[in-house]
Amino acid sequence: MSSALETRPSSRPAPSIGGREISAAIIWLALLFVPIWLPAIGGFTDLASRVLIYAMAATGLNLLLGYTGGLSFGHAAYFGLGAYGTGLFIIHVIPSMPLALIAGTLLGGIGGILVGPMVMKRKGIYFSMITIAFGQMFYFLAVRWNTVTGGEDGLTGFSRVPLHLAGESIKLGPARFYYVVLALFAAVMLVVWQILRSPMGHAFVATRENTTRLRFLGVAVDKQIWVAFAISAFITALAGSLNAMLTAFASPDDLQWQLSGSFVVICVLGGMRSFWGPFLGAVIYIAAQDYLSSVTQNWMSYIGLIFVLSVLFFPQGLLGFIKGRGRS
Amino acid sequence: MLYSAFNGLVVGIFYALMALGLSLILGLNGVINFAHGTFMALGGYLAFTLEPYIGFWGGLVVAPLLAVVVGLAVERFLIRPLYGRDPLFSLLLTFGLAMIMQDVIRTIWGSIGQPFALPNYLNSPLSSSMFFLTGFRLVVIAITVLVTGALFAVLRYSRIGIRIRAGNADLETISSLGVNIFFLRAANFGIGIFLAGVAGILAAGQLGLSPTIGDSLIMPAFVAIIVGGVGSLMGSVLGGLIIGIASGLTAAFFPVAQEVVIYVIMAVVLVIRPRGLLGQEGLFE
Amino acid sequence: MSLLKLEHVGRRFGALQALKDISLAVEPGELRAVIGPNGAGKTTLFNLISGFFPPTEGQILFDGQPITAVSPNDLVRRGIIRTFQITQVFLSLSVYENVRVAVETAMGLQLRPWISRATRAKVDEKVDELLHVTRIADKADRIVGEMSHGDQRVVEIGIALSRHPRLLLLDEPTAGMGDEETHHMTDLIRRLNKDQGITMLFVEHDMAIVFGIADRITVLDNGTFLAEGTAAEISANPRVQSAYLGTAIEETAA
Repeated sequence: MSSALETRPSSRPAPSIGGREISAAIIWLALLFVPIWLPAIGGFTDLASRVLIYAMAATGLNLLLGYTGGLSFGHAAYFGLGAYGTGLFIIHVIPSMPLALIAGTLLGGIGGILVGPMVMKRKGIYFSMITIAFGQMFYFLAVRWNTVTGGEDGLTGFSRVPLHLAGESIKLGPARFYYVVLALFAAVMLVVWQILRSPMGHAFVATRENTTRLRFLGVAVDKQIWVAFAISAFITALAGSLNAMLTAFASPDDLQWQLSGSFVVICVLGGMRSFWGPFLGAVIYIAAQDYLSSVTQNWMSYIGLIFVLSVLFFPQGLLGFIKGRGRS
Repeated sequence: MLYSAFNGLVVGIFYALMALGLSLILGLNGVINFAHGTFMALGGYLAFTLEPYIGFWGGLVVAPLLAVVVGLAVERFLIRPLYGRDPLFSLLLTFGLAMIMQDVIRTIWGSIGQPFALPNYLNSPLSSSMFFLTGFRLVVIAITVLVTGALFAVLRYSRIGIRIRAGNADLETISSLGVNIFFLRAANFGIGIFLAGVAGILAAGQLGLSPTIGDSLIMPAFVAIIVGGVGSLMGSVLGGLIIGIASGLTAAFFPVAQEVVIYVIMAVVLVIRPRGLLGQEGLFE
Repeated sequence: MSLLKLEHVGRRFGALQALKDISLAVEPGELRAVIGPNGAGKTTLFNLISGFFPPTEGQILFDGQPITAVSPNDLVRRGIIRTFQITQVFLSLSVYENVRVAVETAMGLQLRPWISRATRAKVDEKVDELLHVTRIADKADRIVGEMSHGDQRVVEIGIALSRHPRLLLLDEPTAGMGDEETHHMTDLIRRLNKDQGITMLFVEHDMAIVFGIADRITVLDNGTFLAEGTAAEISANPRVQSAYLGTAIEETAA
């Protein structure tokens, strides 16, 4: 098992530019030019936006799951709250994209802040079970509260509104929207990276490693988990808000437990203990889902099979697997 | 009022049966069995297929046993390698399994709901003033009481039941006493799946069959466990009945909230009694 | 005034009386050992003092203040720090990271997503100091989970030191260690006591260590107080000898 903390303190000699930095640079470059190369190989730019949105949601989840050790199986709730919040804001308040994104993110984040205290005292599977159940509560709210949410049919009647900048109205086509998503994804990665190298992140990891030790050092572990839960919900909610913009639609499926499970499997697939793991997992998962749903009706089985196989043969995730080979 | 409460009680019984099996598996196997709902659907569909040959009562016995066979294979080959690992993995595994099994059921039996034919004498109301009291509903209650009673008797008096309970409390000690914990876990998993199978047939008779029948029952079953208290089988039954009745009453007076109400109950319980109604300190943490 | 004082303390678990009528006083700067045959109640005593659970009888005073109903968190703040019989460290982190998170949380930084350069320098300085005191600086980059049991114990003490303990409780600090590791540990205990003036209470099985380093020794037997005194007094005490069947003490104290 490799060290979960990626960074060295500043007082120690800074590591020279290594493989990790080069890989990161390559990933960012590739992401920057997606609207050029992806259509060239037959993909849609919107698909890349979807990858980044899922990667963002999973990165948010992974702060809790992989780094703090909170096995949340209900993160679709915050994704969905973000989506509905954004849609409702555009329909009922102001058709402004930045404000709608903020509204959705706040709605999901506040949801996380409220649910957090009810799960933070729990560990392991009990934690999972309660997060699942709360996730399902939001699902039923969306399905049953017809007049507001559109019920089972989902929330429609809003679209990707143009961005108003310095008096100019900029229509957001797939490529432009992709860059909005990319910019926010980069911001999220920066925030998470900063958290992980700060005392807060160190304490998150220590919570995962040994709650008893931390508690008997006088640290309020519950509060630590709550904060991780809330931050994680905010990030996932931002992803949900962007997803509503991408599809011009908020669906009860955005709140379903299947989606929560997908976020977890994305983290596991890519590597829960790696900064880039959720991103890599999202690339694989979205590509597989996109391909499978186009060639077979039974794509659910294959997605399920991905779950089963990754657990049985790939528990460290792709990045953990590569690192493990590198070490031995 | 009485009618709604009784409706809720019947639904609560399904929740309780599901929660009981889930709770058993959660306790000794340390696994949240996400596929429990699909095992339940499997039980229902098997009974549906077998009914023309062996009748309703035959199916009620044979179909759950067939589901158990599938369950034991799953336990042996998929879940056993994960014991002692992070609970996240077994959770993901049963999650994926649920997706696969649901797809398989859809492929075999079709994705459209099927009516589940009950014997005529079970389907008619017993009296006109108590029109909701069909024979089948009484059968549901009777069978559930019987099965639950049998389960508690097995756990209390039989050798394997005593070992399951002991293993729940302290798996290490019991394995050091020379008990084969792999066998014990398999048996326990089997019992849990049997309960799911029975629940599936009873629910099919009441609600009709569809591949997603388990989905609508597994989540309330989780809530039942949380409300009743993790680690307490009695709690799971109690939790199931409470949320069933609450949901039934809400359906009559404020139908929009009939699902949400059980989660509200859960939240209230978690705030007032974080361990659940009958939960014990320190289990599963 | 005594730093730690137990007055007629007892603890029962249902019908089982694990500890009964224990009174003892530990003076500031003292290095006190608690010994006794298996089941004597040593770990129960530790759990009572560190607030794992409260006593059912009597009261415990720290610095003259009753701490019987004080939470473990508060005890840490007052300066009572413990280690565990089963070493409690952060296994998949490096030695450096273990001590760093201890120092950062000691400084109350656990919810700070960023810190100034000056604060970071202060953290690093403190971490280096602790690594130095515990003489494990040369292994700073090793993953703790891959280290020997003895080294893990040292890391645990390094973590505990981040809290500036006034009373350090060590539960069998040398259990399961080889000769060299034991030597390193006893040396560390003695240095922390003499150089840093940390008051210590430790449970130990190895009589050579107990008689070698402890200022005073408390003997428990079967949940009750048996004797207390210096190494010479204890080894001469006939009640202690009979509790240990005479043999162990004569051999080691000779």
